[in-house]
Amino acid sequence: MPREAEPSLNERQFVLQALQENLRLDSREADRYRPLEVTFGDEYGVAKVSLGKTRVLAKASAEVTVPYADRPLDGVFQIATELSPMASPSFEVNRPTETEVLLSRLLEKTVRRSGALDTESLCLVAGQKCWSVRVDVHVLSHDGNVIDASCFAVVAALRHFRKPDTSIEGGILTVYTPAEREPVPLGWLHSPFCVTWSYFGEEGEMALLDATRAEEQVRVGSCTISLNRHGEICQIAKLGGTPVEAVILLQCTAIALTKVKEFSAYLDKKLAEDIKRRDAGGRSAELTAENDR
Amino acid sequence: MTVSAAPEAALSVLPRADGSAKYSHAGYTITASVNGPIEAQRRDEHPYEAHVDVVVRPAAGVGGTRERHLESVLQSSLTQIILVKNFPRALIQIVLQIESTPGNDYVNTKLFQASLNFSIMPALFQTAVLALLSAAVPMRATATASVVAVVSQDKEKKLIVDPSAREIEAAQSVHVLAFTSHDELLLAESEGDFSVKEWDDVYETAKKICCQPESQKAGIEMVPDDDNARGPDMRQFLRSTLEEKVAADLHWK
Amino acid sequence: MPLDTSAYSLALLRVDGRRWNELRRIHAQIRTQAAADGSSYLEMGHTKVMCVVNGPSEPGPRRGGVGGTSAAGSGGGGGQSKDAEVAVSVVVAGFSSVDRKRRGKNDKRILELQSTISSALGASLHTHLFPHSTISISLHVLSLDGSLLAALINAATLACVDAGIPMTDYVAACTAGSTSTYAANDESADPLLDLNHQEEQELPGLTVATLGDSDRVAVLVCESRVQVGRLEGMLAVGVDGCKQVRGIIDRVVRDKGRRMLQEGTVEKGVGLEDMDLD
Repeated sequence: MPREAEPSLNERQFVLQALQENLRLDSREADRYRPLEVTFGDEYGVAKVSLGKTRVLAKASAEVTVPYADRPLDGVFQIATELSPMASPSFEVNRPTETEVLLSRLLEKTVRRSGALDTESLCLVAGQKCWSVRVDVHVLSHDGNVIDASCFAVVAALRHFRKPDTSIEGGILTVYTPAEREPVPLGWLHSPFCVTWSYFGEEGEMALLDATRAEEQVRVGSCTISLNRHGEICQIAKLGGTPVEAVILLQCTAIALTKVKEFSAYLDKKLAEDIKRRDAGGRSAELTAENDR
Repeated sequence: MTVSAAPEAALSVLPRADGSAKYSHAGYTITASVNGPIEAQRRDEHPYEAHVDVVVRPAAGVGGTRERHLESVLQSSLTQIILVKNFPRALIQIVLQIESTPGNDYVNTKLFQASLNFSIMPALFQTAVLALLSAAVPMRATATASVVAVVSQDKEKKLIVDPSAREIEAAQSVHVLAFTSHDELLLAESEGDFSVKEWDDVYETAKKICCQPESQKAGIEMVPDDDNARGPDMRQFLRSTLEEKVAADLHWK
Repeated sequence: MPLDTSAYSLALLRVDGRRWNELRRIHAQIRTQAAADGSSYLEMGHTKVMCVVNGPSEPGPRRGGVGGTSAAGSGGGGGQSKDAEVAVSVVVAGFSSVDRKRRGKNDKRILELQSTISSALGASLHTHLFPHSTISISLHVLSLDGSLLAALINAATLACVDAGIPMTDYVAACTAGSTSTYAANDESADPLLDLNHQEEQELPGLTVATLGDSDRVAVLVCESRVQVGRLEGMLAVGVDGCKQVRGIIDRVVRDKGRRMLQEGTVEKGVGLEDMDLD
C-alpha cells in the first residue's frame, strides 16, 4: 500500500516557525476559514462543498424499507463515509483507516445522535414500513479539515433533499413518483456544524481553525466541536493529543459558536437561492408554505 | 431535467491526484482520478507489467456486482491501451466517482442497491481516458466510446445514440463500443437480442461517432450535420479538450 | 428507564446516594498479572477493567491498521517511525452489561476508544525514547456501569506506570455531567461528578482526562446535546475530579511500591529492571 508522503524536517520546521511568528502559509488569520462554497446539483440532495482545495460531495437518498425490530416507530438513517483512493492513494478500498473511522463516528455523533433529522417522521406504517435515509459522503480531494467540510456537506445535502411523497389509504401505501407529486423535504430539527481546532506548540498553546493538510501533518492535537446556532453543543471530541489548557478549550468553544452561526446563515442563504432558482416556473406557493412550517 | 447533448469535460480538477478529469455527457457526471505508477500491493504485483486497478464508486450506496462487472470490463480494455509493460511491478490506480446519473421522474428507483447499466459505460470509459491523459500515463492510443440502442418502432429498427433511461427500457438491445485512435475496435459489449445485421449497423454508427477521420474534418469546414443518429464526434471532442488544456497550461509562454 | 431527577432537587442526592461532587469508590491494583510487563485492575464503582501492557518491544507482524497509531498522530507506518507506536486493543466482555450485546472487533465505537486511548497516552509517554518499537496495551472490560473511557484511561495509565515506561505524568480521567437536560435552560442545574450508567443515559455528560496536577486537558469527549453555557461548569468539575482521581491512583502506586520494599522484593536502590515479580 502506498504510504502518505510525510513532511520533511525542513517543511515541518518551516510551518512551525511561521506559526511562531503568527503567520500561516496562506496568510490567513488563526481563526479564519478558507473560502467555503457549497453548490447543489440538479438532483435533490446533492451538495458539493469546497473548502479551499478540500472537496467533498454528499448525496442523500431514500427508499422504503422495514424498520428495525427494536425501534418500530423510527425510520432508518445512516451516514456512509468511505474514503476512496481518490482523496489520497493511502486510502484503500474496503479497509477503513483511522481517519475514516473517526470521521464517520464524528458525523454520526454530530448529525445522527444529536437528533438533527427527525427519524420518527420517517415512519410510514409502525413496525412495517419506514423510510430509510442514507447520506453518502465522498471525499474527492483531501487538503485538510475534511471533517468540517464533510459535516457541512451532509447537513446541506439532507436539508436540500426531497423524498417522494406518500399516502396511505385503506392500509395501502402509495409512493408517488416525482412526476406525480412534488417530493417533500425531510423533517429537520436543527443544523449542527463541526468546527475543528488544531493545536500547535509544546503545550498546545497555539490554536488554529481550518488547518490545511500541511498544518494537519505537524499539529500536536486537535479538537472538533459540533454546535448548532442555538448554542447547543452536539458533541466535543478532543481525542488525545498534547494536553491543552482547559481555559483555551472554553475560548475555542466560544469562537466556534460564532463560526457555526456564520455557517448556518450561509447555508440558509444558499438553500433559499436554490429554491428560487428551481422555482422559476412559479410552483412556489405550495412549496414555500411547506418550508415555512 | 434537461440533458445536455454535447459532452463537457475539464482536466486536472483535483489538486492532489496525479491526474484527474471531470466529464459530463447525457446526464452523467463523473469525476475520475488517476494515481500512478505507484507501488503495487503484493497481491496485485505483476513481475512484467503494471497492474491497472479500476474502482467504480456509485453516488449513493455501496458498489455491488454491477460495479464489479463494469470495473472488470474497463480494466481489461484500459490495460490494452496503457503501455503497461513500461512499468513492471507498479500499479496504476483509477478511481471513477459517479456524481450524477440521469434521473427518471417516472420510476422510484431502489437507490441502495446502486444499479448501473450499460449506458454509463462510455461515460466511465471516456472519463478514465481523459484522466489517464491528464496524469500523463503513457498510452498506445487514445480511445473513444459510445452507446447505441436498437429500438423497434412500427416494425422498423431504429438506432438511438446515447439513449435515455426510458429508451433503454424500451430498447431491444443495447451496445457499447469503444475504438482506439487507430480505428481499432477495443470494446464491444451487447445486451439483449439482435441479429448480426443489426450489430453491423450499430458498429457502423458507433464507428462514425468514435472515429471520424481527421481529413474530413479539415477539408469540409464542419458541415452542419442534421443526421440525428450521428451524435457527437467523440474523437474531435477528446482532441479539443486536450488542446484547450494544453493551451491554458502553456499560456504563459 | 427514566431517571427520577425530581428526587435530586429535594434531597440533593443522586440515584446511588452520592452528592454532586462525590466520586464513586475507586479501587485499583497494579501488578496483577505476573507474565506481563505491566498490569493493573481498576474499579470505578461497578465499572471494572483490567489492563495488560507489553513492551516497548519489537513490532510484531502487522495487524489491521486502526488499532495502533503512532504518537505523532497521522504518521503511519507502524514500527517504522521515530516514535514508539502505542497499540491499544479494547475488549468489552459479553457479560459486562445487562443486555449482553455482541460487539464485533470492528465496532467503530471500540475503534474510536482505542484510538483515543492510544493518542492520549502517547502524549504522556516518552515514546521518542523507543524508536521502531511498539507498546501494546490491552484492556479488558469486565463490568460496565458508565464512565468507560475514563476507567480505561486510568487503568492504562496505571499499567504503564507498572511497566516502567517513562512518562511525563499520570493521565487521570473522570466524567462530569449536568442535572439539566439539553432542552431546559434552567440556571439552577448542578454539575455532577462521575456519572454511572443510568445517569450517562439520561443526562448530558463529558469525559475529561488531564495530565498530572495541571489543568491541561488531554481528552475531552462530549457525546450528548448540552447548552454551551453548561460546558464551563461541567469542565471545571471534571478537571477537579481528575485531580482527585490522580491522587487516588498515585496512592495506589506508592502503596504498592512501599509494600514491595517491605516485603523485600526489591532492595532500596536496585534498578527496576532487575526486580523480581512478587
